[in-house]
Amino acid sequence: MTELSDELLVAYVDGQLAREQTRAVDKVLVQDDVIAQRVEVLKQAHGRLECAFEAILAGEVGEIMANTPTMPLPVARPRGNGLVKIGVATVVTGLVLFVLVAGYGWPFGQQPAVAPAAVNQPLVAPPPAPLPKRVEMAPPTWQDEVLRAQALLSRSSVEVGLESQGNRDLVAFQLAQAIGPAVKLPDLKAEGLKFMRAQFLRFDGKPLAQMLYLGTERAPLALYAMRGGGKARPLFRREGAIGSVSWKEDGIAYLLAGEENEARLLRLAEQIKHEPAATEPAPPRKLSDVTSGPIASGAEPIDPSAADPIITGSNPTMPSSPAH
Amino acid sequence: MLPRLKRFADVLVGEKREGKTVLRRALKRMLAGQHRYQRGTPLDRWAFAEIYQLWLSELRDHADPSRQSKAIDTDFERLFRRDEDSDFDALTASFLGHLPPQQRSTLLLVYGEGFDHEEAGRVLDASPDMIQARLIRACAGLADRLGSSAQAPANAAIESLDPGEATEQP
Repeated sequence: MTELSDELLVAYVDGQLAREQTRAVDKVLVQDDVIAQRVEVLKQAHGRLECAFEAILAGEVGEIMANTPTMPLPVARPRGNGLVKIGVATVVTGLVLFVLVAGYGWPFGQQPAVAPAAVNQPLVAPPPAPLPKRVEMAPPTWQDEVLRAQALLSRSSVEVGLESQGNRDLVAFQLAQAIGPAVKLPDLKAEGLKFMRAQFLRFDGKPLAQMLYLGTERAPLALYAMRGGGKARPLFRREGAIGSVSWKEDGIAYLLAGEENEARLLRLAEQIKHEPAATEPAPPRKLSDVTSGPIASGAEPIDPSAADPIITGSNPTMPSSPAH
Repeated sequence: MLPRLKRFADVLVGEKREGKTVLRRALKRMLAGQHRYQRGTPLDRWAFAEIYQLWLSELRDHADPSRQSKAIDTDFERLFRRDEDSDFDALTASFLGHLPPQQRSTLLLVYGEGFDHEEAGRVLDASPDMIQARLIRACAGLADRLGSSAQAPANAAIESLDPGEATEQP
């Protein structure tokens, strides 16, 4: 008889083993009835535990549904990648906690910790209201917006000077280091947009790259990039005057945002998708481009006809230390 | 999310009424201490951890924490939905009811919530190895019962009031 510990068998049943280990256990199960029987019982135990917790949850749901007044249905919103959730998390956290405490005070027959009027929901109302009432939310103040923006700033946002933030070689190198070698630093000159500078922000403690472009008019256009998931297909959404397109490519989530219409943003996103990675060899450049000189700083006067800084070659090794 | 938090509190405490009050206190504490919430942390993970920490700190204040943590069979069985459509698994309910609270909540987080060992460990302030050890012990115990060759699991007891000092062996 083969000796296999419960430790190994439980890990096998839970799917915690590596593929090779799983195959090895599979082989033993074919040859050893005693082990196979033990695995069968462990699987049964696993299944029963899962069912037990489901049954408890069903009980909780039933109880809460029976006791809680009707709550407003959440408004369906298009899902974006992690970048578009920036800022929303804070507000949602507070709101969820508020609703949970306000709503959950009810089953205990005690006064809630917050003023009931603020929720606009009856806290002691046995018969559910026929029509759900909507929670009225005050529009965010400028302080709210600034606080959300402030949360994005990291040390590296200000440690690197404006001049070096406009250096395309340095930017490409740093982007590849922090976000990944596949990250894009697109050339949007053909669309009348000049690369001005880039900087690192942060979200959830992880680097979030912001690449800024400027045309002859309108506010800057920004491309954000961060390691993470999201939908591969470009998705458009609008928040006030700001339109945005988000997508995922090579394990990197992108968000293109600016005061642009949907068609233009989608076209730009499509163009960026076809761009090579930031550190890949640049295509041969015209002599006029090479002689136009680097961007001195972000404060340089805007000249859409001016070329980007000189590209010195692929995968540059910069002498200065990167911000990350 | 509320039913999930309620289930966690009930399973941790071992009965409905005290579970409700623990959850209510935890929610109030979370609302008052929103500054502790770190942006980007999944709200449910944070909430589970807050409930667990509150329960643990209140348990430490009791003169006899191990007595407080014991669940009574009938109280624990009341957590399960009992209707004509669903079969009640008395054996598993009784088994869970007799487990130590930390072990019970570990099973819930991994098998009920689908957390990995690291996530469960963060909620319960335990190492992934300890989470693994708890799962093995519980699964093997239930399997023994199901195989009719086992002895009843040990009476409920607090593993350790200080998770850092807990020395479990699988």
